[in-house]
Amino acid sequence: MREFDTRVVIIGGGATGVGILRDLSMRGISAILLEQSELGHGTSSRFHGLLHSGGRYVVKDEDAARECIDENEILKRIAPTCIEGTSGWFVHLQDDNPDYMKAWLTGCSRVKIPVKEIDVAEALRLEPMLSRHVEKVYEVPDASIDGFKLLWANIRSAERYNGKFMTYCNVSSVRVENGCVKGVYAENVRTGEKILIHSEIVINAAGPWAGMVAASAGAQVSIIKNKGVLLVFNKRLFQRVINRLRAPRDGDIFVPHETITILGTTSYTVGSPDDNWIMPEEVSYLMNMGKELLDDIEHQRVIRAFAGIRPLYEEASTVVGEGREISRDFALVDHEKLDGITGFISIVGGKLTTYRLMAEKVTDWVCNKLGLEVVCRTAEESLIPPVEEKLKDKARTMFGVAMADKMMERLNDRLGEVVKQVSQDPAQGQLICECEMITKAEIKHVVHEFNTTSLNDVRRQTRLGMGTCQGAFCTYRAIPLLADLLEEPGKLREEITDFLDERWRGVVPILWGEQLRESELTRAIFNTTLGVGQREQGR
Amino acid sequence: MKYRDDVITSLDTCIKCSACTAQCPVSKVNPNFGGPKWLGPDAERLRLESGAILKLALDDCSNCKTCESTCPSGVKITDMILKARRKRSLDQNTPTLALKMRLRGYVLGRAEYLGRLGVIWPGLTNKVLGLKIMRYGLDKALGISKFGPLPPYSQALGIRADQAKDGQNRKLERKVMYFPGCYTNYNEPNTGRMVIKILEHVGYKVVVPDFHCCGLPLEANGQFAKAQVNATHNLELMENYLQVNVPIITSCTSCGLTLKEEYPKVSVPGAERIGQQTFDLFEFLWSLHEKNELPLNFIKQEISLGYHLPCHLRAQGIGIPSLRVLSLIPGINVHNLDVGCCGLSGSYGFKKEKYEISMQIGRGLFEATKIGVNHGDFQEMITECGVCKVQIEHGAGVPTKHPVWILAQAYGLA
Ligand SMILES: Cc1cc2nc3c(=O)[nH]c(=O)nc-3n(C[C@H](O)[C@H](O)[C@H](O)COP(=O)(O)OP(=O)(O)OC[C@H]3O[C@@H](n4cnc5c(N)ncnc54)[C@H](O)[C@@H]3O)c2cc1C
Ligand code: SF4
Ligand code: SF4
Repeated sequence: MREFDTRVVIIGGGATGVGILRDLSMRGISAILLEQSELGHGTSSRFHGLLHSGGRYVVKDEDAARECIDENEILKRIAPTCIEGTSGWFVHLQDDNPDYMKAWLTGCSRVKIPVKEIDVAEALRLEPMLSRHVEKVYEVPDASIDGFKLLWANIRSAERYNGKFMTYCNVSSVRVENGCVKGVYAENVRTGEKILIHSEIVINAAGPWAGMVAASAGAQVSIIKNKGVLLVFNKRLFQRVINRLRAPRDGDIFVPHETITILGTTSYTVGSPDDNWIMPEEVSYLMNMGKELLDDIEHQRVIRAFAGIRPLYEEASTVVGEGREISRDFALVDHEKLDGITGFISIVGGKLTTYRLMAEKVTDWVCNKLGLEVVCRTAEESLIPPVEEKLKDKARTMFGVAMADKMMERLNDRLGEVVKQVSQDPAQGQLICECEMITKAEIKHVVHEFNTTSLNDVRRQTRLGMGTCQGAFCTYRAIPLLADLLEEPGKLREEITDFLDERWRGVVPILWGEQLRESELTRAIFNTTLGVGQREQGR
Repeated sequence: MKYRDDVITSLDTCIKCSACTAQCPVSKVNPNFGGPKWLGPDAERLRLESGAILKLALDDCSNCKTCESTCPSGVKITDMILKARRKRSLDQNTPTLALKMRLRGYVLGRAEYLGRLGVIWPGLTNKVLGLKIMRYGLDKALGISKFGPLPPYSQALGIRADQAKDGQNRKLERKVMYFPGCYTNYNEPNTGRMVIKILEHVGYKVVVPDFHCCGLPLEANGQFAKAQVNATHNLELMENYLQVNVPIITSCTSCGLTLKEEYPKVSVPGAERIGQQTFDLFEFLWSLHEKNELPLNFIKQEISLGYHLPCHLRAQGIGIPSLRVLSLIPGINVHNLDVGCCGLSGSYGFKKEKYEISMQIGRGLFEATKIGVNHGDFQEMITECGVCKVQIEHGAGVPTKHPVWILAQAYGLA
């Protein structure tokens, strides 16, 4: 068994976990983050991608709304390349309750969310797909945020301050002796290696798995696991986030993301944090809900569906109806007070929008525990070092503005290397993924960095295979570039199947129309021509 | 639903099969051109996202529409490309084409004005355009390649007023309206006159109003507003006839395609009918034959010909009606070369920086033509499109004419 020391162990590589790692590292406290799979395996990549302005919560929960607008402004400042400042509209339709609209306007002015009314004719000109039943439109500073980019930006920032992380490292139990935390037992799920990490403090940031992690220490955290289904559309349907101006319900938000648009979500309590399968009726339900905002929804191509599990904190052990009644706000559970275990804390609930604030609170608690007085600087220091203007210009002339800007957002300070590769050998500029415009040079770069072990890792870094064709063409083009990693030829075959399975999983619930044709083409290419299979084909 | 954007909707039907790129004549010879899939549906998703346009590549497409004829999914690929060009032309922030290029777009786009200029002094223009020094000037000043085969100009076709007296019931008269187009009008008016003769021979009165250029060359050269004005003008002239089901006949394949595919998008009266009421000359003649109305008293023609299918005829999706009609003539033997685009594609090959590419695209056709001639398969080529004709003569040095001339011989009209 491998053993080593650190002051703090963080369990969970979601937004909350990486935010804590960054904050601790910036405050000079040695810490290591352990993630059972890859970064963003949990809810932080299976979410709607809305950087809330607070508008959605303003009527029900002013505190949550206030946190959102504050964090919204901070994140736009410190993480501009992870965020697209789309702005958002709250749209009041013909038969919607006017009292709610009044309460909403009052709430926004109390919480100081800037609201601007948009003339309806102008709104329809700017967003031609919007329902003709719209009566009022208000603009707020919503934005879209990319989960993967945000996670990686936090990790990189933490690394600059000596923060450490290990992926594919599952914490099997928290080690407690005489009511005191001593560290964690973990296992590398790839190699089977057992690891013991000694630490003074353990932070449970395992999201929907937080209950299980707490239990391994003999503590208790009640999490309501609330599933939300989301649909991904092939293209930009709207240029702005579109919210329905009514009490929050299902299927009432469209969020534009790069080339796609995501409609969501639903709210359904499930038993396990891994229970993110999608039923056909959930999809048709969402389509019906979305139709109220977008009349022509049936003609818009859906390319996949996915679901995430909200880790909602259940304070008292009372379960009230469905998940949405419970506060989405976060809680810091000090297990010394609750279960008599010192040095063990769970951070649960919250939103991705407020991840930095949650991390700040946790780190404050840690400092307090360790008797340190260091102030938090995560709201001031930029997450991402700026890219030189000269380099930007070079990339833009090389790839064209649209493509270069997307590349820059993905690569940031690493852009230089890719640009160098392509200027030395223009053939490296060949597009491997044409839907999302990803070059050979960029994939090669990712393969040799970022702890890449699989094509799915490449996907999370680049959007490879996340566009219209869902991997039909880029898979076989990209796989040779992984040859260095996966030396045995058999492994490459397996890798293709793994990647396609993962893509296929999201396509199965929406197999109709164009995506059905696309899947048949994919099947023809891989099953028939190349003779590699999709394991889950039978489903 | 009125507000649905069909071009954007058709983006969704693309399944990325790449059939379009495999067939694109420019992709075949220019490895740096991303191809129709990339420039059309792929880039369209990006354009919808950021509004930023992949500018440079836009001009590499020759607008031959082979991609659209190929696509099994009905994606409006060239509409997307043209829309992006239009957007670029409106975008003030982007340094668009240099003045020279804009001027050239103006000249090549306005075949009509160049044409009018040409027919006032046909002899003079031809001499002037034939002069090396003049071509050198065009090359340097406007970027119009000095090697490109600029067509000669002659006495214009002119208009033919409607003879129908007031009160006469238009419906009862067998009448067609002929849309000759700029090339026929100014460069080959005799072909236009022959089209009229044939139409009269098969029993139709022919009306030719004072049409403007159909607009396709304008679109292709980024003069979008002017294209719109022309379409509106032409549709106004047609409207009364369209209402009483008078067919509109074209002999130029690009004009035909524009009338069939682009005019229906203009919001003026008549636009809703023009698509179904426009016929390529031979398409029309074949439809008469199907009704047993086409005179079949042909004179036997002991003749062998090579045929080139113009891209814009293929894009009309009507097969090759001229070959069907010519096959009715006894003794005739036509070799359909079937080797794809000639490379000139409207005005593409006249552009200085496109000349080489255009000749490379056409190489297959030139070779096939020369081989045919060397084997003694045929001595002459036929093709419906005037610019294809000019390009074949330039690239292969084999005389080429519009198939209407063969029909005319068979009817004893020429
Ligand atoms: C459908 C849906 C839509 C949403 N939309 C939005 C939105 O638009 N805006 C917004 O702000 N918020 C949104 N949220 C909420 C937001 O996504 C979550 O609050 C946030 O991602 C939670 O992050 P986390 O780091 O706490 O949890 P997670 O991201 O789930 O991270 C927990 C991590 O811990 C790891 N882990 C678990 N057990 C172990 C173990 N034993 N050992 C090692 N690692 C372990 C997991 O693999 C996982 O990666 C949405 C949530 C859902 C479900
Ligand atoms: S119109 Fe012709 S040149 Fe342009 S992309 Fe299509 S096939 Fe290629
Ligand atoms: S545009 Fe048509 S031919 Fe081209 S890739 Fe898409 S579906 Fe295939």
